[in-house]
Amino acid sequence: MVLRRYTKLAYKDPDEILFGHAKFPVQEHFGIVFGAGFVVPEVKVAPAPGTEKDKESLVREMASIAEQAASRAVDIGLPAFMLEQEHVFQQTYYPDWAYDCTHAQLEVLEKYYKEYGVRIALRQTVADIRVEEKGGLRGSEYDNRIAETIERCCEAGASDIAAETMGGKSVIDYGVMRGDIKALLFGEYLAHIDMEYFWTRAVNICRKYDTRPAGDTHCSGANTAMFVAGGLMGKDMSHTGAALVRAMSAARSLVAVECGATGPLKDCGYENTIIKFITGVPIAQEGKDAVCAHSDIMGNLVCQAVDVWSNESVFHREEMGGPTPAVWLQATGYEAALMNTAIQAGYAKVLRDLYALTDMYRDPQALILAYPNAFRIAKAIVEYGKDPYLRSRAAALEAAKIIKEAYEAKRIALTRFELDSLNKFVSILESLPMEADKFVDECLREYKGKIPTFDPKSYEL
Amino acid sequence: MSYEGGDVMSIEELAKKIDFDYVHIRYNVVVEGPAIKPEDDPDVKKILPTEEPFRSIALAVLKADLKGVEEKVKEALKKIDPVKVIENGLGKGMDAVSALYAKALYFLPDVMLSADAMMAGVKLCEEKLGKATKKKGTVVSFVAEGDPHDIGKNLVVMFLRANGYEVIDLGRDVPNKEVIEAIKKHKPIMVTGTALMTTTMTAFPAIAEMMKKEGISVPVFGCGGGAVKRDFVESYDFSVYGVKAHHAPKLADAALAGKTWKELRYEYPKVVGEFVAEYADRMG
Repeated sequence: MVLRRYTKLAYKDPDEILFGHAKFPVQEHFGIVFGAGFVVPEVKVAPAPGTEKDKESLVREMASIAEQAASRAVDIGLPAFMLEQEHVFQQTYYPDWAYDCTHAQLEVLEKYYKEYGVRIALRQTVADIRVEEKGGLRGSEYDNRIAETIERCCEAGASDIAAETMGGKSVIDYGVMRGDIKALLFGEYLAHIDMEYFWTRAVNICRKYDTRPAGDTHCSGANTAMFVAGGLMGKDMSHTGAALVRAMSAARSLVAVECGATGPLKDCGYENTIIKFITGVPIAQEGKDAVCAHSDIMGNLVCQAVDVWSNESVFHREEMGGPTPAVWLQATGYEAALMNTAIQAGYAKVLRDLYALTDMYRDPQALILAYPNAFRIAKAIVEYGKDPYLRSRAAALEAAKIIKEAYEAKRIALTRFELDSLNKFVSILESLPMEADKFVDECLREYKGKIPTFDPKSYEL
Repeated sequence: MSYEGGDVMSIEELAKKIDFDYVHIRYNVVVEGPAIKPEDDPDVKKILPTEEPFRSIALAVLKADLKGVEEKVKEALKKIDPVKVIENGLGKGMDAVSALYAKALYFLPDVMLSADAMMAGVKLCEEKLGKATKKKGTVVSFVAEGDPHDIGKNLVVMFLRANGYEVIDLGRDVPNKEVIEAIKKHKPIMVTGTALMTTTMTAFPAIAEMMKKEGISVPVFGCGGGAVKRDFVESYDFSVYGVKAHHAPKLADAALAGKTWKELRYEYPKVVGEFVAEYADRMG
């Protein structure tokens, strides 16, 4: 399959981008369209511990999550919503479990669609259960089961399929722990290779059904870096470094769309504003309603261009306000209502800018994602669009430039650790070869022996 | 740039109207002290040896100078006992690194690179000795079955090794029975288990139950990771909820000193020597 490499942006001007609007809206069954002028709220809830003990128990749990979300949607008058189910290990490892769980949720959602007309989508996010040191990323038992599970979810009627693939993880983890930008760039390059393998197959499966291949986010890269970087007082990774990882992740997550994924792109890595500028596909994002799972230092900003506003996975349990599927759908539903009101009233761009400005200078990770800056990174990526290595490097360098400019203009304050590491990263990135082959050879020599869980064969290297 | 139906104002112009001090404050910048050389920190001064070549070796570890460590250790080994090189040089350097990390003057990459340098030095000493040096104790570490997320486990392993523990690293996606077999074989003073997901962390109580059935136990079964929370960990026996990777050696030291898992649950903040929000109710 020949990938569609992006060498131009879908948007000519950063001001064009807006929540609820995508250049290429996506329609799924049950009457839902994404990116067609309104924002759809999403909820995702992880099954309660112990419910994975057998198939029947997990199927009941899935149906219960769907029922609780749908009934709250009706109770508070949501016009539409998406239910995302991020698979637990067993759900992907046993394809028949995946089928039954998807089917059980779909039955519930269809009932609500027919009875109330509430527009609903069901996203199945398969778990990337592959482990490099256990059979590798390609053709292992785990890998084959993922393919089968995608197929079974499609057969059962999933509206779309998403994933958070793990390619490059072992090298990225090494880079995160040591603040090693070269390892981080190499890990992103490996992730790119794996994404091409994974998504070519996933797209081909989905196209046989009425199921959209939605997309992938770099949970094991951008989100891991953000998680390790922690809050302002965190001492485990510089926030400038985490910002550069996020910029590089956009170049990597773009591959799903190049393979034929349509969106709404999967949330978690926060890189999607950049990819929306490049591709024009609708995007899911999380921010303030992801506080149930992690602290991100940019709760509002990512609303700026969102089409599907989500929480992050939360335990399935009772809160004082009800079960978590209901509570968190209510939170994302009200946020989407604010955005949809602004769109209808003609003040959407005012709200977009307020969202962006609340967080833009809170942290370098937010700064590079603010839409005028995300546009610059998108441009840097497409300039080298055909070269996975150079476009990741360009994304990181542009992000660094954005941070340095804001620092020098006294828009954002940085600690010595943040500034020193940024300067060090830039100097290393600038010294790297301009040819991917040379870079890969260098990295294989440098990291192959140091990282026991890194298997070059998984990337055909 | 203009708004539909609103006043014409770009995001840049809008930004100029805002006093961002009312929106957010970067406290990490506010509280940052003046830059000092790591060896000038008062706590580091107390830790670093004054005698050569131990001081130079410790300083090379402190500055994560891997080549410098190797050169200095090779030179020292010509006339000094390898155990002394480790204890008085490499170990002191790493103690100083830990002190700076605890004060947030060093960051995780500093610790990792210093640990790499120290371990390179230890390797040279062990080659000279012809055997592994005596470790403080053995710890078994694993990531729960079905879970490929191992960055937390890798950090725990690094902190333990840098603090003189032998770690049997079982890797990620480890079946419960393999953990039990490793406990039987290695008789560790501590086991660490990590998991990111709600449905993989259920391996921990299953392992605790298997230990009971097999009639085996460990002084401490430290459990942590993304989805793992204290109330869950305290719902089964042997277990202590581990909050940060760098707490692992402190827990191991306490286990070595005879503290039980029950005691550690209630003395966690005291044992790790810092404020831990997750144990705020047990700070007294």
